Amino acid sequence: MIRKSHPLLPYLLILPTLVFVLIFTVYPSISSIVGSLYQHRLNIPKYRDPQFFGLGNYRDLFESQQFRLIMSNTVRYVVVLVPAMVVASLFLALWLRKKRFARLRVAIFHPTILPMVSAATIWLFFFTPDYGLFNSFLRLFGYSGPENWIGNPDMALWAMVIVAFWKDTGFYMIFYLAGVQNLPKDVYEALEIEGAGPVITFFRFTLPLLRRTTLFVTTVAVIGAFRTVDHVFVMTQGGPSERSSLLLYHLWQVRFESLNVGQASAITVILILVLLMFTIANFIFSEGRSKDV
Amino acid sequence: MPKKVLLLSLIAVLVTVNGFAGGQKETSQGPVTIQIAYPVAVDAPVTEILDGYARDFMASHPGVTIEPVYAGGYTDIKTSIQTAIDGGGQAPALAVMLATDLFDLVNARYVEPLSDYVDEMKDGKAYLNDFLPVFLDNSYYQGKLWSLPFQRSAVVMYYNADLLEKEGIAPPDSWDTLASAAEALTLKDGDAVKRWGIEWPSGWPYWVFQPLAIGAGQNIVGESDTEVYFDNPSVIDAVKYYNSLSATYHAMPAGVQSSWGNVVPNFVSGNTAMIVHSSGSLSKILSQADFTVGVCGVPGKEKGTFASVPGGGNIYMVSGLSDAQKKVAFEFAVFMTDPARAAQFSIQTGYIATRKSAYDQDVMKEYIKEHPQALETRKALDNAGKELSLQNLNQVRTIFHTYIQAAFNGDMTAEAAMAQAQKEADEALKDFR
Amino acid sequence: MSDIHAVSSGSKKQPRVSARVLRWIAAALGLCLALLWSMPLIWSLIASLRPASEPFARGQIWFGSALSLGNYLRAFSLAPFALYFRNTLILVVMVLAVQLVTSSLAAFAFSFYRFRGERILFTLILTQMMIPTVALLVPNFQTIRVLGLYDHIAAMAVPFWGSAFGVFLLRQSFLGIPRDYGDAALVDGCSWYRILWHIYLPMATPAVIAFSISSINWHWNSLLWPLIITRSDASRPLTVGLARFTQLGEIGAQWGLMSAATLIVALPLVVLFLIFQKRFMEGYMSSGLK
Repeated sequence: MIRKSHPLLPYLLILPTLVFVLIFTVYPSISSIVGSLYQHRLNIPKYRDPQFFGLGNYRDLFESQQFRLIMSNTVRYVVVLVPAMVVASLFLALWLRKKRFARLRVAIFHPTILPMVSAATIWLFFFTPDYGLFNSFLRLFGYSGPENWIGNPDMALWAMVIVAFWKDTGFYMIFYLAGVQNLPKDVYEALEIEGAGPVITFFRFTLPLLRRTTLFVTTVAVIGAFRTVDHVFVMTQGGPSERSSLLLYHLWQVRFESLNVGQASAITVILILVLLMFTIANFIFSEGRSKDV
Repeated sequence: MPKKVLLLSLIAVLVTVNGFAGGQKETSQGPVTIQIAYPVAVDAPVTEILDGYARDFMASHPGVTIEPVYAGGYTDIKTSIQTAIDGGGQAPALAVMLATDLFDLVNARYVEPLSDYVDEMKDGKAYLNDFLPVFLDNSYYQGKLWSLPFQRSAVVMYYNADLLEKEGIAPPDSWDTLASAAEALTLKDGDAVKRWGIEWPSGWPYWVFQPLAIGAGQNIVGESDTEVYFDNPSVIDAVKYYNSLSATYHAMPAGVQSSWGNVVPNFVSGNTAMIVHSSGSLSKILSQADFTVGVCGVPGKEKGTFASVPGGGNIYMVSGLSDAQKKVAFEFAVFMTDPARAAQFSIQTGYIATRKSAYDQDVMKEYIKEHPQALETRKALDNAGKELSLQNLNQVRTIFHTYIQAAFNGDMTAEAAMAQAQKEADEALKDFR
Repeated sequence: MSDIHAVSSGSKKQPRVSARVLRWIAAALGLCLALLWSMPLIWSLIASLRPASEPFARGQIWFGSALSLGNYLRAFSLAPFALYFRNTLILVVMVLAVQLVTSSLAAFAFSFYRFRGERILFTLILTQMMIPTVALLVPNFQTIRVLGLYDHIAAMAVPFWGSAFGVFLLRQSFLGIPRDYGDAALVDGCSWYRILWHIYLPMATPAVIAFSISSINWHWNSLLWPLIITRSDASRPLTVGLARFTQLGEIGAQWGLMSAATLIVALPLVVLFLIFQKRFMEGYMSSGLK
């Protein structure tokens, strides 16, 4: 049956959402593109009023070693963190799906409800050189490697990954728990009777059946990884030598510390493009994977 | 209704007359409210002290309300004032911000000049001359005065005097003696270090490094506001010396140390023999250490030389105030920097009193008699160079931090790192030359 | 993270090992994992109760000589946490209330009606899911300025009033509702909002709960945007208030004070969570996210 209504009704229903999306997503995206073409720097008298700069901001960015480093940090951060979280949350969900693990699930999940600022503050102590808890703990296993986690150029970024991993894995576990609950039980019973091993069951059935959950979790995790930089604020301020700086944090610095509005717009545009690339690649990747099955 | 018309015109006349009368008065007596945003950057009861200032000032200035606002660290305050002004919000009238932030703040028109107000003072010249000159180094730009020194510090070295005496080591007075003392004071148990000879934290990397460069013979910043000397041989020398303390003498943790907050507890608990830190930590150290604390400038390269660099925050007047607010704000700024208060503030916090006459105050004399270290922090300033303050400070500072940390961490050689830093800094400064 | 690998290999042991031993190992591993995962919270609780006069140092990182509430008192004296709580509460409610209305209306339109441009409009809205609002902080900062909202609690909320995530979740859930229900109601002469209110929303409760929890969680925790768009204590939320304590870290390892401030901010939500954890987790798990 065709639902009759006033022809404008559906549009009216969408209107509120659409207005806010237009004002706070579409318009700013476009204005960033425009703004990125101008030299606009508040702390230089002659550039206080924007002057057309062409692609100059982009050229400056890509010529800058610092910015290339930050791009590479961001990509490495996302590419390591997201799969790690997705895999871990899936395994945790499969392992902890039984009722008797309810308390354990709570333990894994609780960091989700801590603000990232709080989490980072606590972890700051964990990574403290010398007597930090992390070092004390690793020493039990005979560790004597680099001790100053967030001051060490090879460790700082991974310290950020660890904190984010600890905080968010529980969150994604919940989505997998939901997915696991909806798996058809009879299929598994049949598999068990046939004597299929857990590895085969996992790859042939569980994983494909959870494909949509995985797509959802990966998308949310990718966006989350880009938009949460609170731990960089609290723990390293991007240091040492910008080795733990991430794109969004750098954007904040350029706009509000270096007062370079034009370049900040260019970074915004790059950030949007990178995000779209990741999200679209993720869609294509998971679609392609589903055809293989 | 003629009666109503009459009444209305009467009111109108009254209002107008009143308005004129008010306008003719030199000072408006209406209630004025101003906020002062301040950071807490040392472990001291700054909040209580400023609340007390506000109470005292309000008691003698009826109709005036002062609201001190604790607003986080120095960076927080600067950012929030920028966003408030850029965002069209209400910024606080006064703000304690880094003395070195001068150029960016003025260029972006976030602050007001103070020169006119000082000129209007009865003894404005004498007032300014009473500040320790080194603290006013970063207050002038475009021929105007922009800030008044308030919570000012210097980089100093603290040493465990009892321990040095026990080990028969004289307080170091050169790079060589510092290195050998640090080596001798390091205590190891197999591989594990029980006590470090020296800790030189790298929070605020440029700041704690500057005394080394000055001690080597070349400050990293020049006299003009666009001059840096990052790749000067003396500066490179200083980087190498810093690295040698860990690499050659094994007397200091290696690499970048994110331990600004940890070294003071390490020092007072006896786990570290010597530390380089802010003079602002003095009160805390004196109150917690159960040994005699020695204080001096950072030893220089040549025997018998010391070096230091000032730091800390000045009072700025934020732009966008009404005339009445400006007047009150300046008055309160002068009130805060009064010699008696400067002395008391120094005693309570460990900051260096900003006024020369503060040291003539009885309380100060008394305090120095008990804690001669307080005078040492001021003496350290006699050998101080200019703190890194430049046009486009944020970008230049980030560049310097990036490469000096790369050199500390062994990612690059001192020469390569400083050469690259110089190149990028010159690039960042070219728009200002 | 080594524990996770241990976990996965533990659960994949070959069936030769007797089931009881396997169960025992899994339980032990689980306990270790839970302990490891909870360590930050446990430590900060202990650290916050350490007397402020006893600094943390090598070998002295747990309990002090006594338990003290000094850190909490100091934290409260440094920042108006009650005010921050109020602001955060207002912010969260303000965001969620509007989001629920706008999202359910849009989701209803996208699932109940056919109309021209449906796909384009849906895609347009979905872009918001891919481009998080925070990434656009520079232009949005200007917009807020134009709207004159700087330093108002509303400034933190307005950009999130249209939620692609909400529209997406609710639409998914609405699409799962048999069409006959709505059609029957239409035949009975029900207006669209009665169908939405009495049929669709009640049947989509899990999705509504899941979305609400996500929204509350995200805005309760957000830092960057509030940091930029507010200045005064009268509008700043908890996270921004807390961020200033992390600056205190530069002073001298005030781990006790920082822990206390952290817990003041985190505890209410943690306690709420522990009380309602069962419903909370179930709300998430049955939200129809398949």
